[in-house]
Amino acid sequence: MRLAKHLARYLSVAAVLAVVLLPMYWIVISSFKTLPELTSSTPTFWPRTFTVEHYVRLFAQVPFVTYFLNSVYVALASTAITLVLASLAAYSLYRCRYRGRHLLYRAFISIYIFPRVLLLIPLYVLFTRMGIIDTLLALIIVNVTVVAPFSIWMLRAFFTTVPLDLEDAAMVDGASRLQVLVRIFLPLSAPGLAAVALNSFLMSWTEYLFAVAFIISDRHKTLPVGMAHFLQQYFIDWGLLMSSSVLIAIPPIVLFGLAGRWFIKGLTAGAVR
Amino acid sequence: MPSGCVRRCADPSSERAAAPSRDAARPGRGLLRVSPRGLGALLAGLQRDPWFGYLLVLPMLAWVFLTLIYPLVDTARLSLMNVGYVGTPGAFVGADNYVRVLGSGEFWRSIRVSLLWTVLNVVLQFLLALTAALVLNQEFRGRQIVRNWIILPWLFPSIVLATMGKWVLDPTLGVVNYLLRAAGLVRTPISFLGSAGLALYAVTAVNVWRWFPFFTVIILAALQTIPRELGESADMDGAGYLARLWYVELPSISEVLKMVVLLASLWAINIFDAIWLLTRGGPMYATTTLTILIYYKGFQEYRISLAATLSMLMFLLLLLYGLAYLRRAMREEVGAPA
Repeated sequence: MRLAKHLARYLSVAAVLAVVLLPMYWIVISSFKTLPELTSSTPTFWPRTFTVEHYVRLFAQVPFVTYFLNSVYVALASTAITLVLASLAAYSLYRCRYRGRHLLYRAFISIYIFPRVLLLIPLYVLFTRMGIIDTLLALIIVNVTVVAPFSIWMLRAFFTTVPLDLEDAAMVDGASRLQVLVRIFLPLSAPGLAAVALNSFLMSWTEYLFAVAFIISDRHKTLPVGMAHFLQQYFIDWGLLMSSSVLIAIPPIVLFGLAGRWFIKGLTAGAVR
Repeated sequence: MPSGCVRRCADPSSERAAAPSRDAARPGRGLLRVSPRGLGALLAGLQRDPWFGYLLVLPMLAWVFLTLIYPLVDTARLSLMNVGYVGTPGAFVGADNYVRVLGSGEFWRSIRVSLLWTVLNVVLQFLLALTAALVLNQEFRGRQIVRNWIILPWLFPSIVLATMGKWVLDPTLGVVNYLLRAAGLVRTPISFLGSAGLALYAVTAVNVWRWFPFFTVIILAALQTIPRELGESADMDGAGYLARLWYVELPSISEVLKMVVLLASLWAINIFDAIWLLTRGGPMYATTTLTILIYYKGFQEYRISLAATLSMLMFLLLLLYGLAYLRRAMREEVGAPA
């Protein structure tokens, strides 16, 4: 009886893991199959051939490196701006005292119901007029807006737990309030900042709607938009799709490994309170 | 909270910061007077609430205002004009676009598709997330790692998702068709993404795979706040388990479950990339949700004003739907500084 229970427990966990992991396994092994095996109508669940040609072609045949660097640049810049703006705003909302801060908080949180596609046309018009359409700057500007509500919401769990006494004590020692914020408060909230940074990096890394609408020239394309070319309607380059899918997934996985636990903490502390 | 709040809410800088910058308090050395000597006073004044608070929130507020409120107003303006390509001038046409859109079959078709898409996505994501959360809430070896990393599919860009979906569901190369044929269930391969009757379900399946782990993490965290005595043992067997689940565990996390449904639906309506990359809204508009239709009108047909009109209608619909969410958000206070 005990054994049966034990077995049922591990089998159920294995089933959940299979749902999540099997599709990923399928992509990874496919990326190393030679083209004949890859496009054979009888799939092989354990690869019979091994090749890195699809990876080599990424670097030799298509501007994968350009796409990749564009994506890195957009994600890092969006993350940096978000970190500054969101942590200042969150400090103001959670740690300062003034009229209207509840209203402001609600306004920020309400951004959630804003349909993203609504921004597409007016921002396209605006960015065209400003002369920054088809630049990475356009994407960075939108990304910061898109992650703003979630960042502020997530910082609450971290910002409200730093004791006020610490700030008070530093203030008694003659530090200005800005110094206290930068030198004492933010370092103490580092996990929260890591969580926000991870979130905004992921959002920018995966963003597709604005990237496909605002970027026209090939050399400014981000990785998801560049990859979408391999997936053209009448000719699909499976090899390139598989290998680039594997490579595009690596930065998120590495970053989640570094800051994932804080992200999960921020996510769940915000949701479950 | 009330008694503690009075003391804690007191602005920490108000008494202490006053000491080094006493002249800020003297009459005639107010915040607005900027003389060489007053500059220090100004800086000191800016570091006190309410000014410090305003100052810090201002950059984000300005950013959001310029990228959300301005576009909203501009969309409203464009929806009353007849602009085609971006940059071409248009004339004021009043409510013409609205009359045209509301009388068009493609608008109502996209509403139907959006509804079906959203309901399917929310129901499946919710059920899968809840099931996975209950499974992972059991005691098992390596549970900490699994509970964090279950979110994996959510980390990937949707181009990965699209690659996976196209690859697995391909009529000739896809493993799904291979397995169906091997099991003797079908004779001719099924084109999941290429048939008007199946495409929406196929895209839903792929999209659900990406999103349910995200909600699993949230529900799992809620489950873990239930005291062990209530749940007694977390084993998932027997009628006793189901009864306990229904009467004890689910009711005690109902607030979180409601939020999951709300977020899942708001996000599902906004999904663009997964649908666009897998089917481009086809075949025969079977997967053209409102979001896809707006993109199509604006960036494939270059009818900016029609797209703007559709955007405004979508905004109003979401506002109506989001009232529940908004009411909740409006109730929520930031809370006193801890």
